[in-house]
Amino acid sequence: MIRYFQLWLVVVTAWMIVTGCSPKSYVVLMDSPDGTTGKVAVSSAQGNVLLAKSRTGIDLDGSSDVPFSVDESQIQKDFGEAMAARPPLPTSLMLYYKQGGTELTESSRVLIPALLKMLRMHPAPDISVIGHTDTMGEDDFNERVGLERAQSVADIIRGELKKERKMKEEDIHITVVSHGERNLLIATPDNTPEPKNRRVEITVR
Amino acid sequence: MKRFILSGILVFVAASVAWAGETIGFVKTVSGEASIIDSGKTISARVGLPIRMGNILRTGPKGSMGVTFKDNTVMSFGPDTELTVDEYVYAPGAGKLSFGASMSRGSLQVISGVIAKLKPQAVNIKTPSAMIGCRGTHFLVKVVP
Repeated sequence: MIRYFQLWLVVVTAWMIVTGCSPKSYVVLMDSPDGTTGKVAVSSAQGNVLLAKSRTGIDLDGSSDVPFSVDESQIQKDFGEAMAARPPLPTSLMLYYKQGGTELTESSRVLIPALLKMLRMHPAPDISVIGHTDTMGEDDFNERVGLERAQSVADIIRGELKKERKMKEEDIHITVVSHGERNLLIATPDNTPEPKNRRVEITVR
Repeated sequence: MKRFILSGILVFVAASVAWAGETIGFVKTVSGEASIIDSGKTISARVGLPIRMGNILRTGPKGSMGVTFKDNTVMSFGPDTELTVDEYVYAPGAGKLSFGASMSRGSLQVISGVIAKLKPQAVNIKTPSAMIGCRGTHFLVKVVP
């Protein structure tokens, strides 16, 4: 009987060590959405520690500077609700243009439904539209063409948000800018036609 | 003289923009009780509510909230959490980048954005007894006061 009691005591103690030994305040490094692992630097009274391994944590109370591993059940217990509240990650799309104007290439025109689908994934979408040109023609002409390209995409997005989401003008957040020929994707000399540089970059947050 | 007046106007415009408090992000998800404190005023959080520098983001005992910032940083908060956005500068063209926050309690998930990518030492979260420097993308913070 006593032996069973001792065994039980050992089991309970082990269980407490496993589940209850994580410090009160701590930080855990996780895998990035792209599958890589970043780094987190922590400085406290104990000094500086760099976390570089996924699912390792470090105490923030200054009581220990030794990283420890954090298992899935502990992560769920402490962060399940925070992780469930995560907004969709921002996404980007590139559309390409025929030379000199706001006409999309064939292969980009068919991407418009994908753009609209992307919009639907985001609650209260905050959108950035950046227009670019190649180096054909004058700088100020290209500034204007870049803006016209960006504006034409912004118009499609605005129309969609009003029609499909019944959003009011004041709730729609679209930032439209032109980088003209100042931000080339493919570096070229001046006055060079380059299809990859004639583009609009859309980010939906 | 004309130039002088023009620069005067520009200074005035720049000052008023800073005063009005630029939008640096938006509330994207809300569940249960969550609020934003803007210049001492408590506003009940809802999807689409803008966030400004200096705001305090707070969730209640059963609340949670998710926020996406202009540089694509995504933060989400579990119950009973409080975080203040102390500093947020996102002007990559001018090379000005910084993101500083203080977390006094609760649970937080961070997926860092462009600021951390371009200037890793510019993203920091202060807790009551430590400073967390974000050198990578995804991490979780728990603070028990």
